[in-house]
Amino acid sequence: MSVSSSGWDRPVDLEKSAAEIPDPASVEVPEELRTEIEAYMGRYPDSRSATLPALEAAQRRYGWCSPEAIEQVACVMRVTPASLESVATFYDMLETAPVGRHAVYVCTNISCSLLGADLVYAAACEAAAAEPQEFNVRAFECLGACDIAPMASVDGVYVGPLSVDDVPRMLDDARTGRTVLPDKQLAPRLVADPEANSHEFPAHPPQEPSAR
Amino acid sequence: MTEKLLFADIDEPGLDTREVYERRGGYESLRRALSMTPEDVLAQLEGSSLRGRGGAGFQMGKKVSFLPKGSMEKYLVCNADESEPGTFKDRELMQKNPHMLIEGIVIASYAAGAQRSFIYVRGEYSLQADKLEAALAEAREAGYIGDQILGSEHSLSLVLHRGAGAYICGEETALLDSLEGKRGNPRLKPPFPANQGLYQGPTLINNVETLSTVPSIIRLGGAEYAKLGTESSTGTKLVSVSGHVQRPGNYEVVLGTSSREIIYGLAGGPPEGREVKCWFPGGSSSPVLTAEHLDVSYDFESMAKAGSMLGSGAIIVVDDSTPILDVALKVAKFYQHESCGKCTPCREGTNWTVKMLQRIELGEATPMDLEIMASVQEHIIGNCLCVLGDAMAMPIGSIIAHFKDELEAHMDSARLNGGGSLVGA
Amino acid sequence: MPRPAPKTITFTIDGREVSAPENAMLVDAAKYGDVEIPVFCYEPKLGNPVGACRMCLVEIEGIPKLQTGCSTAVKDGMVVHTQTERVRVAQQAVVEFLLVNHPLDCPVCDKGGECPLQDISFGWGGGTSRFIEPKRHFVKPLALSELIAIDRERCILCYRCVRFSQEISEDNQLVLVERGAHSYVATFDGHPYDAPFTGNIIELCPVGALTSRAYRFRARPWDIEDAGSVCTLCPSQCNVTLTVRDERVMRVLARENDEVDDGWLCDRGRFAYPALGGVAASVPKLAGAPPAASAENGAGRVTEPMIRDGGQLRAVGWERAIGEAVAGLRRAGERVGAIAGGQATNEEGLLLARLVREGAGSPHVDSRTAGTLALELHRALNDPRLQAKVSDLEFAHAVLVLDGDPIRDAPILDLRLRKGVRRRKMKLVGATREELLRGPRELARRLAAEGPEIVVLWAERLTAGGDGAAAAAALVELADALSLAEVDGAGLLEMPAHSNGRGLREAGVLPNAGPGLSETGEGDGRDAAGIAEGLVSGELTALYLLRSDPLAEGGERELWEPALERAATVIAHATHLSDGVREHADVVFPAETYAEKEGTVTHPDGRLQRLRPAVSHAGSTRAEWSVIAQLAAGLGVDLEVLSGAMASAQLFESVPFYAGLTLEEIGGKGVRWQEREAADAYPAREQLV
Repeated sequence: MSVSSSGWDRPVDLEKSAAEIPDPASVEVPEELRTEIEAYMGRYPDSRSATLPALEAAQRRYGWCSPEAIEQVACVMRVTPASLESVATFYDMLETAPVGRHAVYVCTNISCSLLGADLVYAAACEAAAAEPQEFNVRAFECLGACDIAPMASVDGVYVGPLSVDDVPRMLDDARTGRTVLPDKQLAPRLVADPEANSHEFPAHPPQEPSAR
Repeated sequence: MTEKLLFADIDEPGLDTREVYERRGGYESLRRALSMTPEDVLAQLEGSSLRGRGGAGFQMGKKVSFLPKGSMEKYLVCNADESEPGTFKDRELMQKNPHMLIEGIVIASYAAGAQRSFIYVRGEYSLQADKLEAALAEAREAGYIGDQILGSEHSLSLVLHRGAGAYICGEETALLDSLEGKRGNPRLKPPFPANQGLYQGPTLINNVETLSTVPSIIRLGGAEYAKLGTESSTGTKLVSVSGHVQRPGNYEVVLGTSSREIIYGLAGGPPEGREVKCWFPGGSSSPVLTAEHLDVSYDFESMAKAGSMLGSGAIIVVDDSTPILDVALKVAKFYQHESCGKCTPCREGTNWTVKMLQRIELGEATPMDLEIMASVQEHIIGNCLCVLGDAMAMPIGSIIAHFKDELEAHMDSARLNGGGSLVGA
Repeated sequence: MPRPAPKTITFTIDGREVSAPENAMLVDAAKYGDVEIPVFCYEPKLGNPVGACRMCLVEIEGIPKLQTGCSTAVKDGMVVHTQTERVRVAQQAVVEFLLVNHPLDCPVCDKGGECPLQDISFGWGGGTSRFIEPKRHFVKPLALSELIAIDRERCILCYRCVRFSQEISEDNQLVLVERGAHSYVATFDGHPYDAPFTGNIIELCPVGALTSRAYRFRARPWDIEDAGSVCTLCPSQCNVTLTVRDERVMRVLARENDEVDDGWLCDRGRFAYPALGGVAASVPKLAGAPPAASAENGAGRVTEPMIRDGGQLRAVGWERAIGEAVAGLRRAGERVGAIAGGQATNEEGLLLARLVREGAGSPHVDSRTAGTLALELHRALNDPRLQAKVSDLEFAHAVLVLDGDPIRDAPILDLRLRKGVRRRKMKLVGATREELLRGPRELARRLAAEGPEIVVLWAERLTAGGDGAAAAAALVELADALSLAEVDGAGLLEMPAHSNGRGLREAGVLPNAGPGLSETGEGDGRDAAGIAEGLVSGELTALYLLRSDPLAEGGERELWEPALERAATVIAHATHLSDGVREHADVVFPAETYAEKEGTVTHPDGRLQRLRPAVSHAGSTRAEWSVIAQLAAGLGVDLEVLSGAMASAQLFESVPFYAGLTLEEIGGKGVRWQEREAADAYPAREQLV
């Protein structure tokens, strides 16, 4: 969801025709994408449940839910593009404007901000400012990892506690496809409860950059 | 030593695999449950008095019993859209012990007569979703999910569904709409999901922690489980502690433990030299409590009596170095951002509250604004379609009540220190 | 399918005991006690309540929280309060919240004076606002389509328009995008909202956010008068309220009549009013959009009698035109053929048939373009026991659409079918004429599997052409096989080719039937095609066109061009100079639009509906009935009509199964003749086939 108010000011283009369910003959959908979406549609009693996974698949392919991407999904799902746009703009992780390649969500909700998240976010914005194609830095609502506050999710990998000094390395790891801040990852951490484990267990392996 | 039902050896290497989980006795509860009648399983759940761990605290067994009997298609949906600020307990369970959740789902579906089930996991939890996906594949292969599970008459499909970033989808009816491929708008209740839920069919919706507790209940027996905790808050509860504490993280405690023990004893309290200014006992939507309330017992009843709620079991501690206005603004902005926009008081009330708080910050407010803000919170509470509006109005209302003096002092100093002014603007 | 037949219960509202239907929503039940509970999002036509606006909060004893009256079903013994302090505070709060971002510039809003938000703010609001922050501002108004403008500042996000798009017309083009206070109504990627029923969202909008581009700022509510009538632009015959200002139709609104149109209109019916007689309106340019096509109101309208003079039509006085027409008819003698078009009323049809039969002594009169159908088949298909109502489409187990497409043939029925499928799981089946001819019994077996209540929605074109009669017979056979005559809620429903096709047939505008589908007695006349052939061969020499133009209505040009060419006299009643009239008419009488007309029409389901004049005649237009009567007088026949009401009375006397009807009985909602005692006078056949 891009919170911009520009859509409010947008009139329709009367030269265009109505956006009905796309005609399969006029919309080309890459075979892989079609197959993936159709598989999702088959998973549910009602194929419309595949909307989110289908839009996510299109976003993975095109980087964002562009009008063309939405039309392709609409064509496969046999729904109007408007109904998908309505859904896509509702959810924070679906992008309806072009964004940088790497999603850097800095949590700025209460627990993280109590511990300096706003500074981390500002630093990340500044560091990424020169590379808008590379990074999509966003202040995100609670990512559910307040135990490593202040934290961020870099292409889905949770890292923290972060300081402003961690930011350059974090972005660099993302850019180069390395494991992001292996020493700061959530994945290897043991539970905080000291009585949970009956023995001392080793840390878990860090999370590798995901294909998703 | 506190009894560990959910966190027992949670970091044992490989616990997320079927092999280790089974070695530790995993899926034994499922076998036992399938050897009982669904009614008997339901009786155990009811006997445990387990209250839902998602936030509302409704008795799980009762919820199951609300589903109509009969052969119609019924659904079970696991709410894994853990998004309440300060809450990260379900994340730990899904990542480290996914099979326990799956086992709980299969048992609960047996009791409820559901043949289709879904886990709706928030999209941000990709590691946890991947772990669940892998565990699901193992469980299917082993016949814990599928047709005629372990040779019984019970069949269940289980699909993992990833969300895409919307707090409101943690609200059970919004989750259903989202799962149906729509915007995550809450539905009007009644009808309740037990009668008309997913795809209009009877639907049981439970939180990850609730369902993960089910195998323990079957293992111990409902009555034995109910001996843990207090009379109306039975069992153990995962508590996520965060904010200004020295050892933030998840702890499994028996309900009824003192709050001070959790905040100071387990989480280490605020950093050296700092004091607790206020704390949210159940996520950011619970009314704040202050240092006065540290000795209140951490259970559903006592928290309600103290003027707040246990909620999702997420304690956020704010120490005395933080201006209360910052806390209020963070909370209000969050709910403004997450309001789905469907109903008027929530959509406009969260929006208006943020604007008022921003004026206080900028020194453009007067004490009358505090009164207006308090009244706006009152106008939101109880008048919305779902509880999201209340989730902002309750903490903001409590902050105004507890910290009126500080907020007024803030207004004065902001005004004097050259914050913008209405007259000058 | 079972239809709700609620029992009456008693509940208490504001201290008074009130009887209301059980399970009615409180906002509706309250009306039985003259209590108004304010609403914005609630609109039962849109399906289940959504409870979004929260305006209708009320207190119910025994329930701790305030409840939304729009979604709470009333139960026996319920005790409801709408006037307590708690309710008052909550309702005031909702108004205050709604006005947080709503502009308070009602004097310059097109909705001002007919705005629910304005009324509810006045009635239930606190009268002051404590919101001192700047309101949001956007570019406005913006084009949403050629027809509709959107002002997003005024939108209160009540969901009505998007619910219409998603749940009623099911075009799914109009949606909410973004979330929370950022939400707004939009289409996909700047595409216009273009679908058959879009205009309904203007009427649904409870604020000035969606307005008609042609109407906005053309009149204020205190300048206008409402006039109820019936749209005769298609066989749906939707009920309308015409907004009239200074004798001009400025707007067409739906007039609730569940049994006809469920309160909806198609865009053609709603926006074609410039042709009804209205001001010359150019649609204003909106931000970012080229100006919409200028709708020249009343452009090209025939307002004076004309005769052909030196190859050109030229305006003349009435006396001259009537004289020419009478002379032409006299010259032709019996060699006259007449065709009544679909917009003609029952009365006009009746009088036209009398003019031709009694005045000229010719049997050649028709209102069908589908060719002759044996009287026995007409009678069978129109049999009152076999007729389905519009609402039967919704409750039927299955509906068979035969050789037709509702969206083209009777658009509003498309919405009714969608409603049936969506809300009642009605099974919708389509079949072609060939499938019917191949085996009506096989088709019947397929349908019967869905349940006993079957409605066959058939298009009149089914009975056209070479095997039209065979298809009609097969349709009767299908009806028999399904026992449609015996099952309540089952039956046939025709989509006639012309707006008042059924009424004109019943009034006797058929070559082989007199009023009430009676035998003609003196032998059958030529049908429309036969008339054309007669003109070509010279057996006929004069053609009388009552609101009909064979060239404009898709008649066969090869047949009609030479026919019109050869006709010695062509007399036409026309509102506009369509091709055939412009090129071939010798006398043109200015005709009334439906907004100017009085009389009755008969809905395809047998409902007689009443047209009432909303505006005066354009120019020197005269009522068709009076012109026909004058021509008849010129031919020496007194039709005995001195007023529209007399014409109606004559119709009710002439059609046996209309006997005893009065205009008062027809009233605003119409009367189905099959439901009256006089239906017994229908010329029933012994057995259907």
